[in-house]
Amino acid sequence: MANAKQTAADFDSAAASSVTGTGRQGTVHTPGDGHMWVMVLGDLIIFGAYFIIFMVYRAMEPQEFLTSQEHLNINIGVLNTLVLLASSWFIARSVQAARAGDHARALRLTYLGGLCGVAFILIKAYEWSTKIAAGYTISSNDYFMFYYMLTGVHLFHVSLGLLILGVMVRELRNPRRRRMFMVESGATYWHMVDLLWIVIFALLYVMR
Amino acid sequence: MSSTISAQTSPSAKVAENGRTPRAGKRDVWLVFWIVPAFYTAFGLIFFALARVMPPPRPDVTTDQMVHFFHAHALTIKIGFGILVLIVGGAGIANGIVAFHMKRMTVGSVMAYAYLGAMSVGALPGCLLVAFCFLTAVYRPGRDPQLLALLYDLGLLSYVGSLGCFSTAYFAFAVAILYDKNEIFPKWLAYVSIWQIVTEIMAVPVFVSKAGPFAWNGSIAFWMGVVVFGFWLSCVIVFLMKATELQPVDEPPLE
Amino acid sequence: MQILAEAEDLPKTANIKTQLISLWTAPVFGVVLLIAFLAFPGFFPPMSPDMTAEQVARFYSDHTAMIRFSMITFNLCGVMLLPFFMVIVIQMKRMATQSHIFAYCYLTAAVSGATLFALADIFYLTAAFRPDRSPELVMLLNDMAWMIFIAPVGAFVAMNLLLGLAVFFDDGPNPVFPRWVGYYAIGTALAMAPAAGAAVFATGPLAWNGVVSFWLRNGAFALFVVVMFVVLRNVLHRQAVEEGVAR
Repeated sequence: MANAKQTAADFDSAAASSVTGTGRQGTVHTPGDGHMWVMVLGDLIIFGAYFIIFMVYRAMEPQEFLTSQEHLNINIGVLNTLVLLASSWFIARSVQAARAGDHARALRLTYLGGLCGVAFILIKAYEWSTKIAAGYTISSNDYFMFYYMLTGVHLFHVSLGLLILGVMVRELRNPRRRRMFMVESGATYWHMVDLLWIVIFALLYVMR
Repeated sequence: MSSTISAQTSPSAKVAENGRTPRAGKRDVWLVFWIVPAFYTAFGLIFFALARVMPPPRPDVTTDQMVHFFHAHALTIKIGFGILVLIVGGAGIANGIVAFHMKRMTVGSVMAYAYLGAMSVGALPGCLLVAFCFLTAVYRPGRDPQLLALLYDLGLLSYVGSLGCFSTAYFAFAVAILYDKNEIFPKWLAYVSIWQIVTEIMAVPVFVSKAGPFAWNGSIAFWMGVVVFGFWLSCVIVFLMKATELQPVDEPPLE
Repeated sequence: MQILAEAEDLPKTANIKTQLISLWTAPVFGVVLLIAFLAFPGFFPPMSPDMTAEQVARFYSDHTAMIRFSMITFNLCGVMLLPFFMVIVIQMKRMATQSHIFAYCYLTAAVSGATLFALADIFYLTAAFRPDRSPELVMLLNDMAWMIFIAPVGAFVAMNLLLGLAVFFDDGPNPVFPRWVGYYAIGTALAMAPAAGAAVFATGPLAWNGVVSFWLRNGAFALFVVVMFVVLRNVLHRQAVEEGVAR
């Protein structure tokens, strides 16, 4: 029910702000809607459990994990991290633009963020293909199983994120809508995807 | 969408005179609703305590150990799975009431049919095949150990490894909830359904791994799936109850 | 399809949108399933029922990785074609000059067909699970896998006959599907029906590796999905325009 009221409030203030050209000033609120925060926090807990289990198995076979890790290309990992950080930056600025009422700019920035997301997927696909060609597959050892499963399920989240950015784009393009909580929810999800990648990058690529 | 317990028109208004709390919603829907937690309680008892598939026995054992497993648990497997094949209609009923409430959403029926269909698909490879593999394994004492090993593998791989049928159902459920304006279920339940899809993806390696977190008894491929499923199921049961409560008594029958 | 801005929040718009989503899962997952089909080492050419147990066992141990990749993909993505067929159910329910009983029969037939499709890959994957299993048992699992993959055509035959009948009965002023769809559906049913012979014949065109049971059956099914995707897109567009949801 809260959403219905929030929608109405958003409509009113959006209507007001589109008339006056100002954003929703003076209203302090949690960005996005509660539902997306359930998604984000729950997802973080689930991934947290995966990370803890990774650490446990790493502690049991430190040598195998360390030597396997050397076969990963840390440059590609860094590139992917930068790409995703850039996309988060674009999305954050898109939210700012939307709040200021500049929906055209918000739309452009969302597209840029999405483009970075696509780039991430392509780079990841390339990385996987080089690893598989070199003989490091999911059944090579525990470390590589974690590598493919963690990056794989993260890739699923990135794909979902692109769908959510698509919803954001439709929201921003429709003058009757442009509800801030929709834009903010999408951004919240995207930032979570970025955050998850940073932890995965740290655990799989960097941690010695 | 207020919870109008319109006591004046409700048949349960007569019940109120006896001092019991009147319920909004329809009697037939309530009857079906209560079957759901009853069935899943029995299901849990069967799968955890009797049939010994939750947690599943390990994949990294010898043929002799598999034979020993069947020998040691033959009685409870027969009792547990024997009861399951009698009461498994409860799964269909649970799927039915979810599809019923999905049809009350403002999104049309396609996702309700997809949910109903996909969950129905899952009943065979994802639930009953392991029952019949295990029942067959304990049916005749002294069967060739290699045959018992085949039944062990086939049953457990299909039980833990039936992924796509349920993923499709969760996908349909999530999409329907996110588009629904009647708010039959809360939006965050759609996201919990996405976590379910995540756990299905994480179970992919059970066809590869014989030990460790991604084996069919592993902490990630199995246990985390059980935890998330338990949470999802609890939420669904709670919100089925709420949806049934909030359903107006005078709502016309669904088409 | 351009959804009208003023219709965005209407229930009938959500009906169109969810159908569109279900429709588009077909090409998206169809491509994925096609890749899995091409990746399976036992389809080009399809494995012969004549193979000895040793040959079958060697196939599974030589190609374990690709067998697993292909069949896990079928496992994870195969049932995602179901929503597409549910769109057909919804459209059959829109037909004005009949009782919609065909639509419900279509629904249940689709579910039973999908169930068998979901079962087949489990047998391939179990055959590939333990390389040291006796070759006779690997061949048993392989036999069941192929039979369950190829032979259960009854559901699709029934579905297509029902769709054909529904289209022919939909003879009012505003039919949902063009009439040729009825003939096409019946044609698909006839093309797939002989593959039931894969459950019985071990040689010849009706065996599971035969031209009729493997190539005609699977080709007809794939073509049906492609053709009906285009048809349903147009049907949905017409529905949206008729209901004032789209331009």
